[in-house]
Amino acid sequence: MNDILLMIGRSLRVVLRQPAATLPSLAISVFFLFVYNSGLSSVADLPGFQGSYLAFILPVAIVSAAVSGAGLAGQELVRDVESGYFTKLLLTPAHRLSLIWGPMVAAATFLVVQVALIIVLAVILGLESATGLPGLVLVIVFAFFWGMAFAGYSVWIALKTRNAAAAQAATFAFFPLIFLSTTFVPEEYITSDWLRWAARINPTTYVFDAMRSLLIDGWQARPLLIGLAVVVGFATLTGGLALRAARRATQLTR
Amino acid sequence: MSMDAGAPRRTGWRSMPATPSASESSDRSIVAERIGRTFGDLRAVDAVDLDVPSGGVFGFLGPNGAGKSTLVRILTTILAPSEGRATVAGHDIQRDAAAVRHSIGVALQDVGLDKLMTARELLVLQGRLFGMAGTEATRTARRLLETVDLADVDPRKRVGDYSGGMKRRLDLALALVHDPGIVFLDEPTSGLDPISRAAIWEEIRRLNRRDGVTVFLTTQYLEEADRLADEVAIIDRGRIVAHGSPDALKKEVGKESVTLAFADVGRAHEAERALDGLAARSQLTGRDGRDLVLYLSNAVDVIPEIVRRLDGVDIALQGLSVSRPTLDDVFLRATGVRLSEVDEAPPDSGTAAPGTGERS
Repeated sequence: MNDILLMIGRSLRVVLRQPAATLPSLAISVFFLFVYNSGLSSVADLPGFQGSYLAFILPVAIVSAAVSGAGLAGQELVRDVESGYFTKLLLTPAHRLSLIWGPMVAAATFLVVQVALIIVLAVILGLESATGLPGLVLVIVFAFFWGMAFAGYSVWIALKTRNAAAAQAATFAFFPLIFLSTTFVPEEYITSDWLRWAARINPTTYVFDAMRSLLIDGWQARPLLIGLAVVVGFATLTGGLALRAARRATQLTR
Repeated sequence: MSMDAGAPRRTGWRSMPATPSASESSDRSIVAERIGRTFGDLRAVDAVDLDVPSGGVFGFLGPNGAGKSTLVRILTTILAPSEGRATVAGHDIQRDAAAVRHSIGVALQDVGLDKLMTARELLVLQGRLFGMAGTEATRTARRLLETVDLADVDPRKRVGDYSGGMKRRLDLALALVHDPGIVFLDEPTSGLDPISRAAIWEEIRRLNRRDGVTVFLTTQYLEEADRLADEVAIIDRGRIVAHGSPDALKKEVGKESVTLAFADVGRAHEAERALDGLAARSQLTGRDGRDLVLYLSNAVDVIPEIVRRLDGVDIALQGLSVSRPTLDDVFLRATGVRLSEVDEAPPDSGTAAPGTGERS
């Protein structure tokens, strides 16, 4: 446990020293919030659209921050593997999995801070949450789990490939996840069949649904439970893959 | 400068695992029995037996790709052997890897440092991962920075801005944080300038002589093995081809060696025939086999006869030198080539597969 805390502390410190790795994801999210809110807010005037467009687009900014922030976990791990520091840590009695947990939790902490900042910004812009502060906290919880799911994925790719370029390329999964969904308009406004279909199988859609239900509709069990099942399911899946890859990378039985 | 008094620092605060096996106090630091490791078709380490006594400097000499780093990775528990067994500090490297890690300090060939951290941060983290409290880790970090002569560096300077020599010294300090009884140094001076090299040598001697640390050192430099090691094993293509103290090994080769250079390999062959019986042993070597080395006990007495015989068969000598046998001659005798010539070949993948998992 002590090892894990030490490694988390180290990862956080190191992440803060790479503004180039952290600031862009915050910038992109703020960009989503400002530009889409300014450019597309008349969508909210369409018949049948409920709530403000700000509340509708906020989850997109949040998920984008969560997903790109979580990619840091894999990037950090690849950095350690490439520098050889990973091997150096393997030569210490540190718990093997603390080497993975360090970057994971650092990325998670970082994304929660980022998401909180974005929500504060949205509140300043006039966001009103239908479920109040508890709802906003729950939105962060969803973002956290979704980020962890993506962190697991990035750690898995990082340990599989041990290659910075590959780990970087893997974060491109970000684009279909964010955009092939009910990103800009609710499902009933999506005119193309294939996009509607893509949105339905894209797990991000259910994360958007859950967050929007909290921000726009008030407390509703159905979208929250589906959203929770999706994020926890995915986090478990990718976390399992990451752990397996980590065991392999640190055990060296062959 | 430096560490406290000269007593071996093998005991003390260290959180040794609670299994003081009988062999912990043994006089053998490393015992390996038929250790082997295969990567695909490559036999990187082939049935290596080792018996490293405690308290000395053990030099493991061989060209690039000979299997030195692979063996070090196996003995330091980060690579599993394909077969064979070994104990380090009395602990089995596979069944008791955690205990081994507590007993050894390791500086691998590819210096593994996070370049975004400072030297102090790396040392403190290392100490804490080895179970020290914060204040103790800080104190140790300060002491080791003095030891390796990095105390005057700006403490905010990140390791990424260090020179190669500074990184090596820091890496050495990291290997010493938990006061290990055995230190593995994998090519500690490769690629360093002469001054940095001398500084590392000095530190290795001090570690061994003053602190009683057993040093297991791999190197491709003859001079390094010759100067530092009490005992040497020579490895070539995964196999140990000679083993003993540098002096004993050199004596086995002969008292003196005479190297004769010829215009081409054909002449060298003819000369070898013409000189048959003069030397205890002879060997063709050099680029394209144009050199002939004779090992004998009395070069001065024999040289006139060499010249006479070569004159007799009308072979022109292009050069002649007399020297005491070096470890290079030992290597030559064991493998048929000079170490200096093997190293001109590109390093093969056998040594340093970077990362940890190897091919899965």
